[in-house]
Amino acid sequence: MGVVIATTFVIAVGATTLRYTTVIKEMNVLFNGQVMVVSEGAIVIQAIPIGGSMLPQNYTEKKIQGIVGVEKTVPILFVTPVGASGISQLVPINFSIGIPVDDWDLVLGPTPLKGNSGHFPTSESSNEVVAGVSLAEQYNWTEGTDLKINGYTLNVTGLLDTRLALLGRSIIMPLELAQNVYNYQKSVNIITAKPAKGYSQEGLAKAIKQNVTYVNALTEEQRNDIIQPILAQIETWNLGLQTVIFLISLILVMTVTIMSVSERRRDFATLDAIGAPLSYVFRVVIFEASLIGVLGGALGLLFGSLSALVLANLFTNIPLAQFFPSVLDIVPPLFMIEMFAAVVLVCCAGGVVPAISAARMRVAEVLRAEY
Amino acid sequence: MGIRTENLTRTYDLGSSQITAVNNANFEVHEKTFTAIVGRSGSGKSTLLNLIGLNDYPTSGRILFDNVDVFSLSSSERRRIRLNHLGFVFQTFNLLPTLNAVENVELPMALMGKTPREQRERAVELLETVGLGNRLSHRPKQLSIGEMQRVAIARALANDPETMIADEPTGELDSKTAEEIITLLLDVNRREEKTIVVATHDQKIVQMADRIFTIQDGRLAQEK
Repeated sequence: MGVVIATTFVIAVGATTLRYTTVIKEMNVLFNGQVMVVSEGAIVIQAIPIGGSMLPQNYTEKKIQGIVGVEKTVPILFVTPVGASGISQLVPINFSIGIPVDDWDLVLGPTPLKGNSGHFPTSESSNEVVAGVSLAEQYNWTEGTDLKINGYTLNVTGLLDTRLALLGRSIIMPLELAQNVYNYQKSVNIITAKPAKGYSQEGLAKAIKQNVTYVNALTEEQRNDIIQPILAQIETWNLGLQTVIFLISLILVMTVTIMSVSERRRDFATLDAIGAPLSYVFRVVIFEASLIGVLGGALGLLFGSLSALVLANLFTNIPLAQFFPSVLDIVPPLFMIEMFAAVVLVCCAGGVVPAISAARMRVAEVLRAEY
Repeated sequence: MGIRTENLTRTYDLGSSQITAVNNANFEVHEKTFTAIVGRSGSGKSTLLNLIGLNDYPTSGRILFDNVDVFSLSSSERRRIRLNHLGFVFQTFNLLPTLNAVENVELPMALMGKTPREQRERAVELLETVGLGNRLSHRPKQLSIGEMQRVAIARALANDPETMIADEPTGELDSKTAEEIITLLLDVNRREEKTIVVATHDQKIVQMADRIFTIQDGRLAQEK
């Protein structure tokens, strides 16, 4: 039971943190090769600016375009709306992205539309949007669905067929439409700047910071540098937690196995008297300990995966049923195999001391102790 | 296999005092004989049997199997002797409770590396010989004391050892069952030509023995 609880905890916490660190790492693919300009006070998590003020679009873009070495700028409005209940969620899970229609690729890359039907909004469209499949599944949106956001009626013209968490949970629309819907007229919170041939991101970012006031310009490497220590810290904490839990499991299995061996002293001593090799007795005890690991690990995997789904549901408000088809995304098979192997190994290790003690039992001593 | 002891002594430390369970014992067990070691409870019979059964270590002296000092051998070699050449029957049977009768008998053969089929055939044959052909799949808890002793004897014979050592084999049995076990041991000695060494205070066994040793306060003396 102890091993089941320990495995459940490790899987649930591990899978949840793994999920979020993976989502953050996924964002690294956005704005590849671009300098990302945000307001000075904004905190940037890979591609998402959090906090800080809005940038006046025309003024800032014009200033950036005036800098030598800028080939192209793209203004983007990135909105993390409040949850359905009106409360900001612990982890933002719905996004709206406004981007000029000619620059979809910067955010979407080669992402297709589900079933290859529908179309991306055109420059003439005034109310057309595309939505990520995860959002669409949650709210039963299909191609042609009309969405009501802040008094605007938006028509879904296609569903983004992607497994990337960020795009799967986004509504993507032309920039001007997004500015109107979210009431940020002529304002954006990201401007990407592509360096011209022969110019580096570093040099360009430096020039932007020198020439444009109240902005922060981050190269791809700097964006990674911000998040890497945080991710590393999360992973260290996770590893630490797993180590502590596995150590507790080890002590637990050792205690249980020692008790089990001491209850069967006579049996092990009899094996010795018959002439069983030390390795045979050792293997018997290790096998029993590993069996605890296999059974406890298997049940722990089951309960841990369910717990990870429940945690994902609690953090995101996405209905639990929607997570079931993608359980292997939340608890990746490799992570399951690693944890299962770790549990079995820990249990085997927990059996070593009792196994040595069992192999050392001598029938004359055991029988004498009984009398 | 001839067994001989030379000045065999076994002393136990009991905190501040010492007990000499076997004191300077010199005796020889001839091949294919039935030897009885007789003595009261606590006289040192079981200690002596555990020593010649290689289940215990002497404090001093030697035990020779076919003139080889077995305690000059490695512990794994002594294990091999226990597995291949000795069969030990405990007073308390020491059957493994999780295994049934046939599995208990198969165990020494499994340890010796015999195939499952060989193990099963031999185990069934032995259990039939000791009159338990109809109790093969019974676990020790489902057997009577006499039946458990028969399974223990069958297990001791599993690897066809030259010598069988039995520690008070009738000690826990009623007189009728004891007689059956004595007949069985005698049968093993006479028909299977096994060397039998028995620690006992059962006069019926003593009467059947080829050689009798008495032991008192750890000191051994030959009577017959």
